[in-house]
Amino acid sequence: MSFIRRSFLLAAIASVALASPAIAHEQAGVAAGLASGVLHPLSGPDHLIAMVAVGLWGAQLGAPAIFLLPITFPLVMAIGGVLGVLRIPLPAPEAMIALSGVLLGVAVAMRLRAPFAAAAALVGLFAVFHGHAHGAELPDASDPLAYGAGFVTATGLLHGCGVALGALSRWPVGERLIQGLGAAIALLGGYFLATGLGVAI
Amino acid sequence: MRHGSAMKHWPRSTSAGALALIASATSANAHIIGARLGDFYAGAAHPLTDLADLILWFALALLAGSLGPSAARPILLFFPLGLLAGSSVGAEVVFAPAGGLAASGMLVLLGLLLAAGLRIHRNLLCVIAFGAAAMRGASNAGGMGPETNRLLFALGIAIAGYVAIALVAAATVAFRGEETVSRGWRRIAIRALGSWIAAIGLMMGGLALAS
Repeated sequence: MSFIRRSFLLAAIASVALASPAIAHEQAGVAAGLASGVLHPLSGPDHLIAMVAVGLWGAQLGAPAIFLLPITFPLVMAIGGVLGVLRIPLPAPEAMIALSGVLLGVAVAMRLRAPFAAAAALVGLFAVFHGHAHGAELPDASDPLAYGAGFVTATGLLHGCGVALGALSRWPVGERLIQGLGAAIALLGGYFLATGLGVAI
Repeated sequence: MRHGSAMKHWPRSTSAGALALIASATSANAHIIGARLGDFYAGAAHPLTDLADLILWFALALLAGSLGPSAARPILLFFPLGLLAGSSVGAEVVFAPAGGLAASGMLVLLGLLLAAGLRIHRNLLCVIAFGAAAMRGASNAGGMGPETNRLLFALGIAIAGYVAIALVAAATVAFRGEETVSRGWRRIAIRALGSWIAAIGLMMGGLALAS
């Protein structure tokens, strides 16, 4: 073990051993707010599949989409979040979130080579609706800032999962697997859309 | 040979001594609070237990580190000075609730600069660092009570700021590494973090407007 690593390990152990609770701020609800923010995109399968699909599609499209989509998505999503915070309604938000799963899943399943501008516009449109759903719950969170940080982080990490899974597309079998994943996402999105519209139970 | 043998046993003796010291340690009753140094620690802990400060400081250090060591070095001076100035002014002047909106705006600015990957001039970075630090210093000064030693409290904030900024900026410089193709993803990761920070700032701005 090198000197730097040993020093770092020693410092880390000392930090943990000597830590005591900081009581300068009350900051009540930070942990709860953070946890609810992180869990919001993860516990909603309609959000989860769409976020993973964004990463997968970005990986299939390659540069610049692979890094521009995950960079711009949170920003556009935040605009939707602000609309949600300000209680400005959007038309059929639940149906649009489900539709995002369907269309993004189909794009991945069919390896749709859309121009970057068209892909960005489609993803951006859906990002507004996803952000709206998260933002609408932000004012009621036990700590809104922690909640916001939590759901933005979770969303970004889901994109990262999609991009990482998309790396499988380098191999023919992996590409088939990703296309299958896209089809599953589209089917799930279709189910959520149908239940949202009252067509299915 | 005797010298070599002593050198060989030296780390073991040191370790044994350190362990004995740790094992025999008892709580210190040096009356730090009575000596008013408690205000220094209160000042240092105050921003570190506030998520708004942590995110803003992290964003600024990330931006400085992403611009390279030469751009990051001056903020090691300007940031603590800004905190010191802000906490000194904030102790005298009560700021309006628009502070939340200003902090959100600063987060959006820093996040967008990171996400866009813009290489801003280091003088501009110093101005931003000083402004952000003064703003948060003034906000943290609200934690001072009538009996608080203002100088110690402000020094605590400034030193906490210096340490936090130095560590995060240094870690960012090390993470981003040299501009090579193989390390391109690291810069993209930093830009993605910037977009997350801008997104958080946008929503906090919306919340400040709504409330």
